[in-house]
Amino acid sequence: MSAIAVPTVDVDLFADEVVLDPYPVYAELREIGSVVRLPANDVYALTRYDAIRGALADWESFSSTSIGFNPAVNEALAGTSLASDPPDHTRLRATLTENLTPRALRGLKDQIDAKADALVAALVEQGSFEAIDALARAFPLQVVADLIGFTGHVRDNMLRWGQAAMEVIGPMNQRTAASFPIAGELYAWCSQVTAEDLAPGSVGRGIFDAEARGAIPPGTAGHIIHQYLGAGVDTTVAAIGNAIALLARHPDQLALVREDPELVPAAFNEVLRYWAPVHAWGRRATRDVEVDGVVVPAGAQMAILFGAGNRDPRHYDDPDAFLVERNPVDHLSFGYGPHGCAGQGLARLEGHAVIAALARRVERLVVGPEARVPSNITRSIDELPVLEVVPA
Amino acid sequence: MKIVLDRPRCEGHGLCEEAAPHLMHLDDAGELVLDREEIGAEDVAAAKAAARVCPVAALRVE
Repeated sequence: MSAIAVPTVDVDLFADEVVLDPYPVYAELREIGSVVRLPANDVYALTRYDAIRGALADWESFSSTSIGFNPAVNEALAGTSLASDPPDHTRLRATLTENLTPRALRGLKDQIDAKADALVAALVEQGSFEAIDALARAFPLQVVADLIGFTGHVRDNMLRWGQAAMEVIGPMNQRTAASFPIAGELYAWCSQVTAEDLAPGSVGRGIFDAEARGAIPPGTAGHIIHQYLGAGVDTTVAAIGNAIALLARHPDQLALVREDPELVPAAFNEVLRYWAPVHAWGRRATRDVEVDGVVVPAGAQMAILFGAGNRDPRHYDDPDAFLVERNPVDHLSFGYGPHGCAGQGLARLEGHAVIAALARRVERLVVGPEARVPSNITRSIDELPVLEVVPA
Repeated sequence: MKIVLDRPRCEGHGLCEEAAPHLMHLDDAGELVLDREEIGAEDVAAAKAAARVCPVAALRVE
């Protein structure tokens, strides 16, 4: 194989200034190569759209047994669908997604739309509010809590548990170390939760019923609940916060959705493309793999930069513009292939519900500056003051 | 050419139906139905678009 040497770049992917605004670094790395080696993180990063999509599809060359950037988290996730490869993955994934596929969720659309509309209507009435707590966090927490049937203190813990579960996927830095005990609380709770802890008729209760009748292996119900909470909260909060901020900052784009509500799904795709909720995700090379002429050695830890691929000018024209009519249905923010986000059907229901409610009830949102807090994996807005609502 | 569906992998996201509504649809149970598997040259672009947008790579055209 006649390969070119892999370019090496002195960048720490998880430095505060990079996780707060990774896009300049993404652009720099993407121009250097499809694959770049980053000694600071001991990873080979994938930066261009085709290389990322290709690696996500090629589970035989890029194993999911190392999706996290520290050994402790990969060990903790061993045996979950997230961190396994076919054939085990196929069975685990089917169990995980049985209650999450669009066909399982079809009955929920009206309820989810109604919840979003009620929440947005109350906020429009209020006139000014902090959009992340009042909407981006409140809405997915309500949807996921009701879906799984959480009550009481678990509901109160969902946000911090969900944040910690994503944070610990990062390298063993201070943020990861501080989050492990909190992620441990979630794991401990999921290890002892029983059907009676979850509301009758909920999807969570249904998972325990499936375990009781032998449809899923004994002891797996708690693990499934763990994955719903670990993967489904922080990421959706980020996507919805991003949708509010982007539509507020681009009133012309909100106007397009208002004129043509058919654009709601396209607008959500563009939000996901423009600001990827997940910064970096791991894989491990199982063999020497050539990517765009560069050989990634067997055993290498990969860092997949979804957000870099989503802004690749080789794939999207004018990639740094936020354009709701673009409808980038093939964006990388849900990953792709066998491990493509298992909750994307629910995420779409939630994202579409919020954007549709905003487009129906709001002509313009006047917002103050957004605040962000550095975090390893989920890139989200921490505070977004809405100073004034111009109602529809 | 032919559209091939990896049925166990399909989760019913329905993006393929939006890309090629004349070639496939989700039935009332949310299961994907290929209305045509053997396709002529005129449908290859639509079939490839459907395969391309499948988020779990359950469709291919060969």
